[in-house]
Amino acid sequence: MLKLLSPANREVLFMGNEAIARGALEAGVNVASGYPGTPSSEIIESLATVGKERNLYVEWSTNEKVALEVAAAASFAGLRSLCAMKQNGVNVASDFLLHLASSGTRGGIVLVTCEDPGALSSVNEGDSRYFARMLEIPLLEPANFQEAKDLTRWAFELSEEIRNIVVLRSVTRMSHASGNVICGKLPVKFRKAHFVYDGSIMDPLRGHVISTPVVAKHSLQQGKLKRATVLFENSPFNDYSGPKKPELLLITSSACFLYSREAIDMLNLQKRTGILKMDCTWPLPPKLLKKHLNSTDKIMIVEEVLPFLEENLKTLAAGMGKEIGIKTFYGKMDGTLPSVGELNPDVVAAALAKIMKVKHKSLPAAYTKELQKAAALIPARELTFCPGCPHRASFWNIHNAIALDGREGFVCGDIGCYAMGALFPATGYHTTPTLHSMGSGTGLASGFAKLAAFGFDKPILTVCGDSTFYHAVIPALINAQHNRADITFIVLDNSGTAMTGFQPHPGLTVSAMGELVPSVDIAGICKAIGANVAISDPFDLDGTCKILNSFVADKGSLNVLIMRQICALSPEKKGKKIFDVKVNEALCLGESCGCNRLCTRIFRCPALIWDRSKKKAVVDEVICAGCGVCYSICPQKAIIRTEAEKK
Amino acid sequence: MVSKAGKPSSQEILKKNVLNADLCTGCGACVNLCPYQVIYHDRTVQLHRCDLDDGKCRAFCPRWEIDLDLLRSSLCDSADLTPEIGAVKDYYLSRATDPKLREIAQHGGTVTALMELALTEGVIDSAIVSAGNHQQEQRGFKAIDKVSLQKNAGSKFTVSPIVAAFNQIAAENSGNVGVVATPCQALALAKMRLKPLQDDAGHIDKLKIVIGLFCGWTLAQEKFQALLLLNNINPATITGMDIPVGKKALVIKTGSGEKIISFDHVESCIREACRYCLDSTAEFADISVGSARFGNEWEEMRGWNQMIVRTARGSKLVDLALHRGILEVRKAPDGILKELKEAAAEKKRTALENIVKKSGSVKNLLYLNNSDPLVKKFMVKIKR
Repeated sequence: MLKLLSPANREVLFMGNEAIARGALEAGVNVASGYPGTPSSEIIESLATVGKERNLYVEWSTNEKVALEVAAAASFAGLRSLCAMKQNGVNVASDFLLHLASSGTRGGIVLVTCEDPGALSSVNEGDSRYFARMLEIPLLEPANFQEAKDLTRWAFELSEEIRNIVVLRSVTRMSHASGNVICGKLPVKFRKAHFVYDGSIMDPLRGHVISTPVVAKHSLQQGKLKRATVLFENSPFNDYSGPKKPELLLITSSACFLYSREAIDMLNLQKRTGILKMDCTWPLPPKLLKKHLNSTDKIMIVEEVLPFLEENLKTLAAGMGKEIGIKTFYGKMDGTLPSVGELNPDVVAAALAKIMKVKHKSLPAAYTKELQKAAALIPARELTFCPGCPHRASFWNIHNAIALDGREGFVCGDIGCYAMGALFPATGYHTTPTLHSMGSGTGLASGFAKLAAFGFDKPILTVCGDSTFYHAVIPALINAQHNRADITFIVLDNSGTAMTGFQPHPGLTVSAMGELVPSVDIAGICKAIGANVAISDPFDLDGTCKILNSFVADKGSLNVLIMRQICALSPEKKGKKIFDVKVNEALCLGESCGCNRLCTRIFRCPALIWDRSKKKAVVDEVICAGCGVCYSICPQKAIIRTEAEKK
Repeated sequence: MVSKAGKPSSQEILKKNVLNADLCTGCGACVNLCPYQVIYHDRTVQLHRCDLDDGKCRAFCPRWEIDLDLLRSSLCDSADLTPEIGAVKDYYLSRATDPKLREIAQHGGTVTALMELALTEGVIDSAIVSAGNHQQEQRGFKAIDKVSLQKNAGSKFTVSPIVAAFNQIAAENSGNVGVVATPCQALALAKMRLKPLQDDAGHIDKLKIVIGLFCGWTLAQEKFQALLLLNNINPATITGMDIPVGKKALVIKTGSGEKIISFDHVESCIREACRYCLDSTAEFADISVGSARFGNEWEEMRGWNQMIVRTARGSKLVDLALHRGILEVRKAPDGILKELKEAAAEKKRTALENIVKKSGSVKNLLYLNNSDPLVKKFMVKIKR
């Protein structure tokens, strides 16, 4: 039986994201949508696996805004729906979210945002909790794995209670760590969809679902938020543990609760400090906080990433200053804790030790010394393209085309594994000086191309992945064509949303739930926009470079090259070598003039190793994916490829 | 890029002092030795960064560390040396005896006749000549017989990376090689002859004959192609080009007749590097050949070449050609050699002036040495 469908009362080891999915199932969720993004993807993925059993509709949408719209439609029809995304996905969805929050919702709807403090797999560490405050909707933050499930289930109830969307926020260490969770009941009845719109415009359950009349609806929305505050005052999810009158009160949320508890244990401060774990972080319940603020004069706020809780708490404290007196706050705003990057128990303990004037027992000096010695031996794990990755070959082609053109052209980067085109030392050839949000590479390229009038005469290229193409590139591409922006637009088509784990996208014929669906053709879209379109295999270096050379030199038109080659890690390709590759040591020139380690110094495929003692290149057969591209780049033809036996 | 030893890499030296200084002649001496340098159109492109400080790429560059005095004294007979046009053993007006050959050639067909002879007599196994494509883009072409040689006869106005082809063909071990070279290319090959690399594997010994071409300048391919398109000339239809004496224009012969572009426009396409070249007669070739274009007797002379025999190797081939009767020679009219020398000296002075203008100092002559006696001779009138 699927773990996600475990019976009630069973204790199961769930990844945080699975716990969230289970919570939604226990709430009787009917529709789940999202766009893949680490660390959020497993929520939709796990729900998709039980779609049939739980009578669920699950989809990977083209982007987060569309995903939220799909989920909202279910809510309008009285169903329960969940929409999952990573932190910057909320930015994409935010325009609709503003209006949705204003129109209100019907069936319970929860927006789950899984965020990435420290940007472990992002190019930002955005803190989207501010959207809850800005758009006036409730925010919940689970602080352990059990809560990840329970709070999700309750979020649906809260949403139906106030008839508005609720945001549930997780972080990498919550979503991707695992813990034991006691399962609750799965509902046996499923809802039917009914969309009613024959009532008064102000009737949340029968009127038109719109944000007008704006002022009246806005007032209604704020009333909902007040109702949430009342519920938060008595919510068991906000919990205090510690002495009645702590010397220092830690107020914390999410994974930081676990860090704080560990830090207190590390310093043996259980009797001197208390922790107020806040799961309901917006709007803050004033009575509850007044009670706890009155218990001490010193308060430390522990949270990731920005001082969201801290700001809101200070605002609240200022309003009740007469009753609670003047407090000393420690947190990010005074520099006690960093307001960038991830926290961990050590960081919290160090800050705590300073405030409480206790010794933070660091490791014994001798141990630290040994540790440093050992650390030097740890091989550097560079961010790089995998062996067999089409992007390594694609950027080789792109780099060469730019170099041959000689006008110092460059690539506007975009989001996907190919973002590493902007990073050293993924390859020894760099082409990509800009990298922002999904689709922004094409928009930036469109803008750069219009700077020719200001004397900026460089060829402008941009790349995007296949999934990114559907997500946010199309408007920018239309913009480029319509405004005569002379760019070379490259789709790095590896047939899937590869970076986040091969979730399907509109270019494929299988949906999240494994059903056959029509694919939407990228080349067809580009042609319809009016672009010149060519398709190449990036592993064909000569052929691809030839097309790129002509596109880069061409002036006055929008040229699109779709470089098509499946990701080396894709399920249909992984472990299947096209070629067996080895090095003929007698021919390998190594470091001498005539080669100077082109394959290991510039091409830098991880499967090519530099044998320091022999001074020759070697193929690591274990990780070599057998793409055979290195054969094409070796000036000596010392790299030999032979067709691999089909397994 | 800095090498491991902390010195600037060979590639960086070339980039800074040759490529970025607009001195690159596109000869190809740094190409086909490694994957880092390639020719694209007629530009030398450094494709990827190399950090070696003793790379072959800079060893033979004709625009880096040129010691003219040493080259002349080592490679030429000192008795033959003239300051203006290098070594002169013999000087003739010449033409191919075969009228068909003259017809396809630019002038007298001397170069094609000599190379044909070298091939048929087994002096060489292949001849590297310039072959153009429909974009006026030239590449070194390996001709192994009369047919392929004749197919590529005639002047090219854009540069060809001939030395790149030599690097490749010499490494193929396909026998002895003859090269038709411009002055810069002949200079690169002379550097190879003077001081071959230790691991050269005898490549340079395969070079049996260099026939140099008189050269005043070449056109930058991309600029020239743009100019052709601007004048509604499809480069693919061009069958020949010429600059008739006394006319300030480039005559372009196409399938649909002749088209004329004013030289004012053509001038803007001249490769910048050519402005810093001292050599108009390919002084380091074995035999140098040019048109016999003299103001008064142009019509009579246009079917002839001037030919300078420079080395023993050159003499041997020319003597054989005369013996076999494939070349006709005649005594040059009075004053022609003097005229040639004066023109060559003028080119040297102008180039040195341009070099000083570029470097900003008479002490810094870029790729030349200011203590070189030959350089000094032509520097006399040039002031800071």
